[in-house]
Amino acid sequence: MDANKSLLESLDAVVADAFADWNIYSTLIAGGIVTFLVWSFVTSKDPDIHPFLLARQSTAFPVRRSGESAPYRSLETPHGFPLRSGLNVKDPGAPKWTTGRKGDLRDVWRAAVRGALDDEGKLTGKQGKIYTVLGRKAIEHSLDQVTQEINVIGRFLQEARTKTMAVCLTDSMELLAAIFAGAFYGFKVVLIPHNLKAQDLSNLLQRAQADTLIAEAGALDLSLVAKNNRQLSQVVWVAKVGSRHMDWNEVPEDVKGSLDVTVWHDLVDAKRDLAGLEVPSWDSSSPSPSVTTVWPSASGVGEFIEFQPENLVAAIAGLLFSLPRTQRFNSNDLVLSIDSMSRSYPLCQIMAAIFAGASVALNSVAGEGVDFALATVGVSPTVIIASSRTMSQYHDKFMEPHSGIISSIARWLQVRNLEAGVMPSHGLLSQLANIGPTAELSLDKLRLLCISHRADADPQDRLTCGQLTDLRIFTGARVVYALTGPGVAGAISQTNIFDYRRFLGPNHFGAPLSSVEVLLTDIPSDEKFEGKITVSGPAVISGTVTLPARGHIRDDHTLELVA
Amino acid sequence: MSIATPINLVLLSLFVVTEPPPVVFRVFTPTTLLEFNGQDDKPVYLAVRGRVFDVTPGRNFYGPGGPYENFAGRDASRGLAHQSFDLEMLTEDLKGPLDDLKDLDADQLENLQGWEERFLEKYLVVGKLVAEGDAEAPKS
Repeated sequence: MDANKSLLESLDAVVADAFADWNIYSTLIAGGIVTFLVWSFVTSKDPDIHPFLLARQSTAFPVRRSGESAPYRSLETPHGFPLRSGLNVKDPGAPKWTTGRKGDLRDVWRAAVRGALDDEGKLTGKQGKIYTVLGRKAIEHSLDQVTQEINVIGRFLQEARTKTMAVCLTDSMELLAAIFAGAFYGFKVVLIPHNLKAQDLSNLLQRAQADTLIAEAGALDLSLVAKNNRQLSQVVWVAKVGSRHMDWNEVPEDVKGSLDVTVWHDLVDAKRDLAGLEVPSWDSSSPSPSVTTVWPSASGVGEFIEFQPENLVAAIAGLLFSLPRTQRFNSNDLVLSIDSMSRSYPLCQIMAAIFAGASVALNSVAGEGVDFALATVGVSPTVIIASSRTMSQYHDKFMEPHSGIISSIARWLQVRNLEAGVMPSHGLLSQLANIGPTAELSLDKLRLLCISHRADADPQDRLTCGQLTDLRIFTGARVVYALTGPGVAGAISQTNIFDYRRFLGPNHFGAPLSSVEVLLTDIPSDEKFEGKITVSGPAVISGTVTLPARGHIRDDHTLELVA
Repeated sequence: MSIATPINLVLLSLFVVTEPPPVVFRVFTPTTLLEFNGQDDKPVYLAVRGRVFDVTPGRNFYGPGGPYENFAGRDASRGLAHQSFDLEMLTEDLKGPLDDLKDLDADQLENLQGWEERFLEKYLVVGKLVAEGDAEAPKS
């Protein structure tokens, strides 16, 4: 008892002594601490998403087959419910409670022309626009004008009895119009990358048995292509604005008679008044033709992947709804694609944007490896669609070396925010960005970067968590990072838009989209779930596809590539 | 005072979020299915037309002491079709071929269909039942 008392007394004396030394500096320090506490309390924000939702991002089926992992699905479409298979299009006049149709590309265009809907499903009368970006210049096309061109080209090729149309164009309004013309007027569309050698192009046309070719005027040697492709009967040249004064109607001597050559803008000028601005009507039970893309392969020019309209709409819906409601594409967005539309991820994202009533900008230089800085100068987009190669090159060449001391400090501060699960606000950032590495870019309005990675691409191009963090901080935009594979429309999986967590090494690819189910096959043992990525669902051609790439399901149920 | 008291362990276990690992899909024969009859806390499985269901969540009905306990670890197709829990509904010879149910009438088949749909809704299919000596049967 006594000892206790004396202990307390001596403690009291120590505290009293300590406080006896209180002076003006103590007041200042204490004041500083109180201010800091109040400030951090006032400015603290809830994380953008509840951490539990990031800790378990997909659901595993409770039963698996031996040698395989359990199938994993998006949290939106749990096991026991059907996977997302369409756009849920409700025709006007249909009873309110009926489920909508899956739809196809025709519904995508009709939704765009109809304009955006508000929350209650009423028309707002706001229509998106299509831009073709050529260097620093952006050419604006109204949707009515594009509808007109769809009608002109569609009717012309329908009369010419086109069955399979190969389109070999840089990303442009004409490419988009050609895809929709195929959907409305019933011919298959084969999208061929535009930078191929004449011989490769000729081989691809041969394999696709294309009877119509739409290509850039002056970009290829017609007599070589025509010589190897006897089935080819129509060629439509798309001439750039600068070269429209030339006469492109000339046919090489050796193929005269078997081949008709037309020029896109001449055709449109001549038939514009006949075509009308109406979106063609169609019977909703009539099938819409397929769209084929080329998946590049290590040897040769690649293989054809033929997507049925069901695959495409499932993928479009999967991508559209993978973003939470507040982050979805809407009529205020301008979506710029700097990745080629002849690849399925950019194609489906662009279609999703058009369906949602957003404006779309197509860049003529778009491709898998482009200069990010140059490709984004023409417009000020809110969403950019790019490939992992483009972004990793940009990060390595410009973002990393060009960050000075001030932007490093800013980065350090922003990383704290991201760690707390909060996206740094755009205001502070755009001021600091003036000194940062993205200063010269027109990214003021950017809110989202959609990056896709091919499962069989060079592992060098895989983005690390650090790179994604840098991209978030210096562009001020959220990032989604998707894994794509041959035979799967859109993407296999995509990261959560609010997932800012940082790990060592390459970033994961998030949870499967709601249009697919992912499992790993050929796993070496029952302890280690690592195997070939097998994807099934409505977005997959022929239902199921097994990729050669090996994947691993992490503890948070996200997919990552192995080695 | 010890930190490893039950209440502390319960509290600490809140931090450990684990999911049971997925059950591996198996091919059963009537003999290997027999052990999953719910005795000694084992799971309760029963087979309907070749599909093996894990009915452990319905242990009160299908497990030991329940009204349907005869079906546990057995092929229940005929019993469900006849709406009968009697022992003679079960295939006696475990080594023989599976019950082909050829003699059921339309009502009984409809009955069976109803049960099967209900099971598919409520329970997991964890395996497949084949006859002893079938090509798919696991070699013992």
